[in-house]
Amino acid sequence: MAVSMKAIKGRIKSVKNTRKITKAMEMVSAAKMRKAIDAALNTRLYARLTAELMRQLSALQEPNYSLFRRNPVEKILMILVTSNRGLCGSFNSNVLKFADKILQDKENVAKHRKTDAGEEIDPEKEITIDVLGVGRKSADFARRAKLNLISVFDALPETPTMEEVRPITDQAIQAFKDETYDKVVVVYTHFVSSLQQDVKVRQLLPVSDTDLQKILTDLPEKDEVTLPEQTDTPIECYFLEPDRDTILEEVIPRLIEAELFQAVLESSASEHSSRMVAMKNATESAGEMIDSLTLTFNKARQAAITQEIAEIAGGAAALE
Amino acid sequence: MIKFKVVTLHGVTYEDDIDKVTIPTRSGAITILENHAPLVSVLKPGEMTIHKGDDKIPLAVSTGIMEIRPSGEVFVMADTAERAEDIDVERADDARKRAEELMKQQRGTENLDFARMQAMIEKELVRVDVGNKYRKLRIK
Repeated sequence: MAVSMKAIKGRIKSVKNTRKITKAMEMVSAAKMRKAIDAALNTRLYARLTAELMRQLSALQEPNYSLFRRNPVEKILMILVTSNRGLCGSFNSNVLKFADKILQDKENVAKHRKTDAGEEIDPEKEITIDVLGVGRKSADFARRAKLNLISVFDALPETPTMEEVRPITDQAIQAFKDETYDKVVVVYTHFVSSLQQDVKVRQLLPVSDTDLQKILTDLPEKDEVTLPEQTDTPIECYFLEPDRDTILEEVIPRLIEAELFQAVLESSASEHSSRMVAMKNATESAGEMIDSLTLTFNKARQAAITQEIAEIAGGAAALE
Repeated sequence: MIKFKVVTLHGVTYEDDIDKVTIPTRSGAITILENHAPLVSVLKPGEMTIHKGDDKIPLAVSTGIMEIRPSGEVFVMADTAERAEDIDVERADDARKRAEELMKQQRGTENLDFARMQAMIEKELVRVDVGNKYRKLRIK
């Protein structure tokens, strides 16, 4: 008997147990996914409207306003949105791979771009990137890449509320105002469908027209907001109440908040769907494994029976 | 007719073509009619009244932003917005009382918390008001 039947039986049992666990995780993340996707989709219209408004406001030539400041970039703050837990397929590794790519190509990220004139502001010679982590995995990444990690937010619930995301934005805005950083970018996973998620990088600060445009093209058209020709009516035609300064002080941080909040929600929806898909695959593989193990088990059992019969037959023949 | 939308982080609260709307802003309540000039303004917690035909629809809003597009569309991006019939008056009242209680305890401690609580009380007060108004209308 080549393979021990007992050993195979043990294997089958343990794979069955694993399948039970992955199946349960699949169902749990399916439920969480639905909630997270709802939250992300519900916020999209808000995010879209605020991004449009912000584009308009960014056209205000207000060089003194601190959140529009464009210095040659020396220090960048990268907000990395990852998950707290693993077992979600390639979700985290995709984000981190992307972050790695950014680290390789610092100069490109550090440039300021203005679309209309094609004008660029070149960065300083030495560029340093610090990380503000969302999710435990981002902290691991920062440690491995030997980056300075300024803080980690790893206690966010499955579907965070605005209040829970606000401290992240506050910290980023404060650091930018202090001129600690010359640019703030966010790396997150954009939820397209439960089978497709794309990693994106967006510039949060300074407010940039180009990046807002990119956000708008990412958000699906079905949000059915009629897009007026933005360029026809410059912001100068708008009345700003109570006055321009109040609008800038009140509205811009709020819009940035909405932008980051959207990024966190999109990531959360992506995380749960990729975990669900990963667990589904694991359950299926476990099933296949059980099938093939059962086959081996049956073969071994048959071999044992055949051998026993042969032995009995042999014994009987010897007696005659 | 004005194309009007109230959007919060949790989706669209109200969406319709309306005749006019009164919105509480930082610089006082304003009423918007058709063909209003483009405007960006900051909301104040208060009651927003939507007029459509003979109907008056009250909504409780808290802080936020409003924008009137050059195309005449009006968007309100509020932190929270509730239709009067969705407000549970008792619970709103409880929430307000709790906030006031907290404020008494915290008085003079941290400015930030204090401001936040004040905002909360303001918001809950509006909810109670708008909810009550609707209830009275219904009883009549």
